[in-house]
Amino acid sequence: MKSFLRLWRTTTFRLTTLFIFIFVVASISLMAFMAYQSSIQIQKIQAREIEQEVRELVNLQKKRGVRSVANAVQILARRPGPGIYYLGDDAGRMLVGNVSNFPKQVLTQDGIHTFDYSVEQVFPNNARKHKNRSGYALVSSKRIKGGFRLIVGRDIVERRGYAAIIFRGFLFAVVGIVLLSLLAGALMATRVLKRIDSISDTTDKIVSGNMSERVPLTNRDDEFDRLAGSLNDMLDRIEKLMNGLKEVTDNVAHDLKTPLTRMRAKAEAALRNGVSAKQREEALQATIDESDQLIRTFNALLMISRAEAGAPSGGFIDFDVSEVANDMAELYAPVAEDAGIELVVKTPEAINILGNRELIGQALVNLIENAIKYASSSKAKNKKIMLSVKQADGKVKIEVCDNGQGIAKEDRERVVERFVRLEKSRTEPGSGLGLSLVKAVAKLHKGEFYLRDNKPGVRAIIEMPNSK
Amino acid sequence: MMKILLIEDDREAASYLIQALDEAGHVSHHAADGETGYAMASGMEYDVLIVDRMLPRRDGLSIIESLRVEGDNTPVLILSALSEVDDRVTGLRAGGDDYLTKPYAFTELLARIEVLARRNSPNEGQTSFQVADLSLDRLSRKVERNGQDILLQPREFRLLEYLMKHSGQVVTRTMLLENVWDYHFDPQTNVIDVHMSRLRAKIDKGFKQPVLHTIRGAGYMIK
Repeated sequence: MKSFLRLWRTTTFRLTTLFIFIFVVASISLMAFMAYQSSIQIQKIQAREIEQEVRELVNLQKKRGVRSVANAVQILARRPGPGIYYLGDDAGRMLVGNVSNFPKQVLTQDGIHTFDYSVEQVFPNNARKHKNRSGYALVSSKRIKGGFRLIVGRDIVERRGYAAIIFRGFLFAVVGIVLLSLLAGALMATRVLKRIDSISDTTDKIVSGNMSERVPLTNRDDEFDRLAGSLNDMLDRIEKLMNGLKEVTDNVAHDLKTPLTRMRAKAEAALRNGVSAKQREEALQATIDESDQLIRTFNALLMISRAEAGAPSGGFIDFDVSEVANDMAELYAPVAEDAGIELVVKTPEAINILGNRELIGQALVNLIENAIKYASSSKAKNKKIMLSVKQADGKVKIEVCDNGQGIAKEDRERVVERFVRLEKSRTEPGSGLGLSLVKAVAKLHKGEFYLRDNKPGVRAIIEMPNSK
Repeated sequence: MMKILLIEDDREAASYLIQALDEAGHVSHHAADGETGYAMASGMEYDVLIVDRMLPRRDGLSIIESLRVEGDNTPVLILSALSEVDDRVTGLRAGGDDYLTKPYAFTELLARIEVLARRNSPNEGQTSFQVADLSLDRLSRKVERNGQDILLQPREFRLLEYLMKHSGQVVTRTMLLENVWDYHFDPQTNVIDVHMSRLRAKIDKGFKQPVLHTIRGAGYMIK
């Protein structure tokens, strides 16, 4: 019962049942229509036959007189079969024939009549054979010359029996088809259920923690294999994201733990006996500086996740990217100059876009700060940072290039990830979030951020469609 | 001395802040929820309101909006744990005058409210400023010290203009970035300091009495 319920709940099985129902209704309607049509047709043919016999008997009377008719009726009436024959006088008394007691109407009115009768009543001689069988007659009644009444007809109960046989056969066929379809539906549903079960088994395993499970494929390349394939792709992606998240979490923990540990150590040292007021003040100042760095890290993280989640239009205004680039270059020129780096800006035209001016500015600042860091390490005599903004094919391209030591090819993708810092020690200042934010900002503007080789140095490129 | 109303539901943070404002020589009142805060703000005269954005009983922005509708133009500094550009814009659109993200340095808050409180003072429309023997003319864009012309880059001029407009007040690095460059983020390196040291080299070098002072842990001041 339980497994039937399970079967019943499958779409395949329900559809099968629905189709069976429709099929049965349609077949019955068709059968009824055909039966009705054919009964009308048969009745017409029989009526014609009867009329023909009546005409022949009338002709016989014309040629040879009523006695010959009586003889013919007597012979016909004796023949076995459904024939009904009667010849009576004006008063309704039977002269010859095999049926005597017609309804009054038949004996008095000319034309075609149909009526029910009991065979016992009609065929008193054959009572044994036809006992209790009800009859149905189609007759033609005609008053002929000399006041005689001639009735010729057929018992059409036999025809009804024939219809019943057809109907029974038909019923068997329908029942058979219904049973077969049910079986087929059940089989199909079970097959589908099996495939679905294998998918839900896999997901259950994944839910219970085994992330490496995958939905098995059958190589049949059917719709289930396609579903399983895309499920597996999704699972691969989720697994990758989860691993990424784990790495980020580990890095966050590390990056936050280090300054916290330093802070704690400094506070502890300040509390030790024999520490001068000046040292204590310095320790407190250092604690504040450390906590500021932590706050900065958190702010950067928040900004990244907001940029990543951001509804693109939120906070978007119409502004000139070239102007922002010039502002940032002007802001950082003195810092670069102090580090012995030349900061060059190339913005051939005003490029107005719809975007978040603050975030684009922040992204540029991050790239410039990075470039200064990299260019400082350059061995070249003329350390240089080139900042350019240009537009081509509806795309805005912001580039920050340095001629420092560069980033190895295999690190270029990784360094954009959150908290990834290339120097293992993590002692250099910085949160490891700068480029992640740039990437998030590019994404917010439906663009891309990538690093290329500047030979020597890094070319950091933000490329975004100009939505204006 | 300023009269300040602080509307902030975190009692511990509020008591620290009030104590610090006290020590800075200001009188401050505290309201711990939105309704009380609104009643106090509309019932009394204050020089500055410090309003937390998320408050019990009544939201900070709605208090500011109501006050503005009533024609109360007391300067308002919005405090918020929400950061970033969009929140800042909604805060200022609601009628706030400045926006500070938690956690903040007290020196930053103090510098900002002091500037806010004097915002409506007569020097707003002033076209020239004078600090000791240093003078700046906004119309002719001329800077002189002790009768000598000082040539400044446009940005340096705007820096000095902002500092002189708020002479005698502490101006923080973020305030300079916001008001002189019009960007609202936090650069990691000491970019502002480098600009300031260049400005200092132009206006103080060779003079006995410096006018541009670095206020440790806070920012800069011209006096």
